[in-house]
Amino acid sequence: MAVGISGYGVYIPKLRIKRDDYAKAWGSFSAAGVSEKSVMGYDEDVLTSAAKVSRRALESVPLGPDKVSRFALASTSAPYIEKLLSGTVVVSVGIPNSTFTSDHTTSTRAGTEAFIAAAEHLAANPSGNALVAAADAPRASMWDSVEHGLGAGAAALVLSGENLIAELEGYASFASEHFGERFKTREDELLHDLSVKKFSESSLINSTTKAGTSLMKKLGRKPEDYQHVVIQQPDARVPSTVAARMNFTDAQLSSGLISKMVGDLGAASTIVGLAAALDASKVGDRIMVISYGSGAGSDALSLKVVSERRATVRVQEELDRKEYIDYVKYLKIKGAIV
Amino acid sequence: MKETDVSQGVLSRRSGLCPEVGCLGKVAIVGAGQSRYGEFPDKGIKELFFDAFKDMASSVDNGLDPKLIESAYIGNLGSGGFQLGNMSALVAEYAGLPHINTMRIENACASGGYALVAAAMDVMSGTHKVVLAGGVEKMTDVSGMKQKYWLGVSGDTEYERLAGTTFAGLYALIAHRHMHEFGTKREHLSGVAVKNHRNGSMNPKAQFQREITLEQAVKSPIVAYPLNLFDCCSTTDGASAVLVCDAEIAKQFTDSPVYLAGFGTASDYLAIHDRVSTVTLEGTRRASATAYKMAGLGPKDIQLAEVHDCFTIAELLAYEDLGFCDKGKAGQYLDEGHTQLAGDKPVNASGGLKSKGHPIGSTGTGQAYEMFHQLRGSVQKPARQVKGAEIGLVHNVGGSGGTVAVSIMRR
Amino acid sequence: MAHVSVPMYWRTIPQRYRLVGQKCKKCGAVNFPPKGVCKYCSASSEFDEVQLSGRGKIHTFVLISAGGAPPEFAEQEKAGGQYPVAIVQLDEGPKVIGQVADADPKEVKIDMPVTAELRKIYTEEGVIRYGFKFVPATSGK
Repeated sequence: MAVGISGYGVYIPKLRIKRDDYAKAWGSFSAAGVSEKSVMGYDEDVLTSAAKVSRRALESVPLGPDKVSRFALASTSAPYIEKLLSGTVVVSVGIPNSTFTSDHTTSTRAGTEAFIAAAEHLAANPSGNALVAAADAPRASMWDSVEHGLGAGAAALVLSGENLIAELEGYASFASEHFGERFKTREDELLHDLSVKKFSESSLINSTTKAGTSLMKKLGRKPEDYQHVVIQQPDARVPSTVAARMNFTDAQLSSGLISKMVGDLGAASTIVGLAAALDASKVGDRIMVISYGSGAGSDALSLKVVSERRATVRVQEELDRKEYIDYVKYLKIKGAIV
Repeated sequence: MKETDVSQGVLSRRSGLCPEVGCLGKVAIVGAGQSRYGEFPDKGIKELFFDAFKDMASSVDNGLDPKLIESAYIGNLGSGGFQLGNMSALVAEYAGLPHINTMRIENACASGGYALVAAAMDVMSGTHKVVLAGGVEKMTDVSGMKQKYWLGVSGDTEYERLAGTTFAGLYALIAHRHMHEFGTKREHLSGVAVKNHRNGSMNPKAQFQREITLEQAVKSPIVAYPLNLFDCCSTTDGASAVLVCDAEIAKQFTDSPVYLAGFGTASDYLAIHDRVSTVTLEGTRRASATAYKMAGLGPKDIQLAEVHDCFTIAELLAYEDLGFCDKGKAGQYLDEGHTQLAGDKPVNASGGLKSKGHPIGSTGTGQAYEMFHQLRGSVQKPARQVKGAEIGLVHNVGGSGGTVAVSIMRR
Repeated sequence: MAHVSVPMYWRTIPQRYRLVGQKCKKCGAVNFPPKGVCKYCSASSEFDEVQLSGRGKIHTFVLISAGGAPPEFAEQEKAGGQYPVAIVQLDEGPKVIGQVADADPKEVKIDMPVTAELRKIYTEEGVIRYGFKFVPATSGK
């Protein structure tokens, strides 16, 4: 029985800051290809954003929250490191207390981790409905160049066995040991990156290409079968680097390349990118999604669009709804002036 | 008057005694004192209350033997920041009254007004004959943050406070709706401040004794739009004390007592959003209706009033809710000059909360202090004396209207 | 700092997270936030739970500047400037106060349609308190 995406919703906070404002403050801006990024408002966080996109995704089906049988939340920047995060979201959205929920938090792969958890639930419960919410607003020290590209955003997907927008054809994963790239220990509030650039890049390329290649082999697909390819976006250039290794073209990347306008969305990067690809897709298109989380692991998802129905709130609408702030206001809102 | 009508029941048994002083006729005020209102780093609640007490004692024409005082009701909100329990006993013993009946009365900014009512009920019940009604507040000892805590938790805390408002915000919500429904203008709000500062400039006990211009008031910085800095009263230290007694023994203390002709108290939903009307203080309407009925009087009989102008809009609401003018017409009523010192119904001749200050627990009995002296012609600075006034009203509001006490006093 | 204890805040989560109201069994009016006795008929303490939509119109509002902000919101005001607080007339009848988010203070108007959504309200005792704020209805739910 086919399972897949029956609804989706996305939210990009409206505050934006341009790369030029960084360059004025620091003399440079490190995130390649990112021209501006989104900033979480003072009274928002990944949980309020997850609640918002969850509602949007359910309304796009439409499906009542009481019909959700599985909930999975993904974020690397939740406000608690120990506390059941899903609790806030399920109570706010009205999902039954008896629903099994899981919090996925330890790397930017968390968005697809949550997706696959939901897919596994549907394999065992074909008449169920799973809600996946990925919301992230990663933070690093203002002195750290990894901070430059960190943005904010959220997207949610409803996965079901009927009423599909896109079918899930299959998925594959790759997990291994790696370290020294983007990480945060229990003592830290802020991200580190040792900036051993080639070493880190090699891990990302290795993981993503392994997961993507193994999926295509499993499904008997070739790179040119995909009209849309969404790859993890710590900046707007990494996807091209990976694409080149897998014989995907930049044209295939373009529909999902949201990082140019919003920056690095962490665990939400691939899910928001997927929403953008869905918005742009036509019936019959195939979408490849490949995530990456440092430390390290990747998931690859293959989807086929089967319906013309789309979300009511488009990614482009969210991108267009914006208000620029300067670097000082950015510091105030991030609470970075202590 | 039926015996079963609670507010009238006691009165019907007493009204024969002193018929010339209205339905109530039982309760007299024979002395009143107030400390200076302002900021006093060298005085705490004990010292401030004692200042008021001494001032009250010196105002008793035939002298006061403090041992005659049997009972004291003391209005207070914040206990000076340190004495959560038994503060009424504390300030009473410091003032030389260690063994009498004392009760702390707390109804936010209406504490003093309710203390006066409690004292009246004590005397009317026959339990005591000489009773002190007073109030004290020490607001300037604590940090800015703690002060703002006080300024926000007598409205509804759960929703109003956590929506991000202090009192300025709540009264601004009322002001904005009043302006929207009735066309009340910024100049009306500021006009109240100008009037009260002018009156307060003639009050040696006022916190602020300088006039302001309408332009200054209109242009002052926004605190909570539409209210600006000069729409808002300040935080203040101060105390007041009023000596209440059985009317039958009033002449022991003075040949010119003032009588309590009537009083009324009423509460309302704390949260403005729970109220039927955003632009009416139902507590004021009901409390004043009860007071008028008890006194056998109406709004037109009131010759001067001390009303609760914690924010300028509150004075405009008072004009309407006390029945001085129709709902929505307060701006016009102010424009017509009735409530100026030289008008036919001077309001806040003392300077009001705006200029005189607002030491929360003391405000209500401070209003009674002013009214006592106005009605006897013994106001401290004659320029502020309203001449020939016989019937006055004091109006004291707790929070944004959650509690209201109104008393009518007459010569 | 206004002290609202953790249990006290937690007890109001159905109202704060989901705007759960109470429909009087006797007169049918919706009470929100809840009361022990129906505010409208004063004759009943029996209610059915009802899920409010969160939609309403602004009945009145204030723009809080630094001087008018309680300590819990002082930093928010410093970081983002003046914030609007409104009494909103909800579609189902009751009025409730709430901060207005995601709106230019200059564009907030009486009668403007708004809808409730989950936001961070403040943090006390290290615990984040979430609750509803109102956003302009045109900006999507």
